[in-house]
Amino acid sequence: MAMKKVCKLCERGIPRIDYKDEQLLSRFMTDRGKILPRRATGSCAPHQRQIAAAVKRARYLALAPYIKGYYE
Amino acid sequence: MRDYEVVYIFKPDLLADEVSGRLERYHQMLTGGDGSEITAVEHWGKRQLAYPIQNELNGYYVVAQFRCDPAHLPEYERLLKLEEQLVRYLVVLSEGELPTPPSALAEGSDAPGTGRPESKRKEATDAAPEATPAPDTDEAPSDDDGVETATEEKVEAPTEEVV
Repeated sequence: MAMKKVCKLCERGIPRIDYKDEQLLSRFMTDRGKILPRRATGSCAPHQRQIAAAVKRARYLALAPYIKGYYE
Repeated sequence: MRDYEVVYIFKPDLLADEVSGRLERYHQMLTGGDGSEITAVEHWGKRQLAYPIQNELNGYYVVAQFRCDPAHLPEYERLLKLEEQLVRYLVVLSEGELPTPPSALAEGSDAPGTGRPESKRKEATDAAPEATPAPDTDEAPSDDDGVETATEEKVEAPTEEVV
């Protein structure tokens, strides 16, 4: 079932993604902490690149897990 | 001169005073009187790490922004690397904003509210001319709702709850 997707970040006018904003980033991650693909979130290419970079920074700073649940 | 942002993660058993003293020492290295300056320092305080680092489960986070000549950085980073109480740090080019507090999404919570009716309207008008079957048009907005209510909940939840 094809559904038209619009980039949520474009829709809300968020021009830049902050790597410190883990609440925002968690919306683009699976429940295991993987970065969701564009086909799942509908993000546009520029935002997807920002998301990926921000998630990786957040992981380094232990704001987001590399693998969620690994240490539980 | 460039604008940078740095996040420090200190060991959790350091006192706030000790952290401030260390920050002062690091930042002295950057402010060499040539127009370099520390533009903002923000203490997030102790919070849980998403995974253990050096057997620590918590860390004392500090975010700072500064402007300095790139030539100062190697020496500054060398100092940081030698620091044993500093669990981790990250220096990146500042993206122009003041350090955002952990509750940064507060303004974001308004955006979905304003964006929701608009997006619904868009989808409805888009779907109608395409002459898609009725279930399709029904499904799209309802799905949208689910996503947005979920995001609102997340926005309201306190940021400290990082697993």
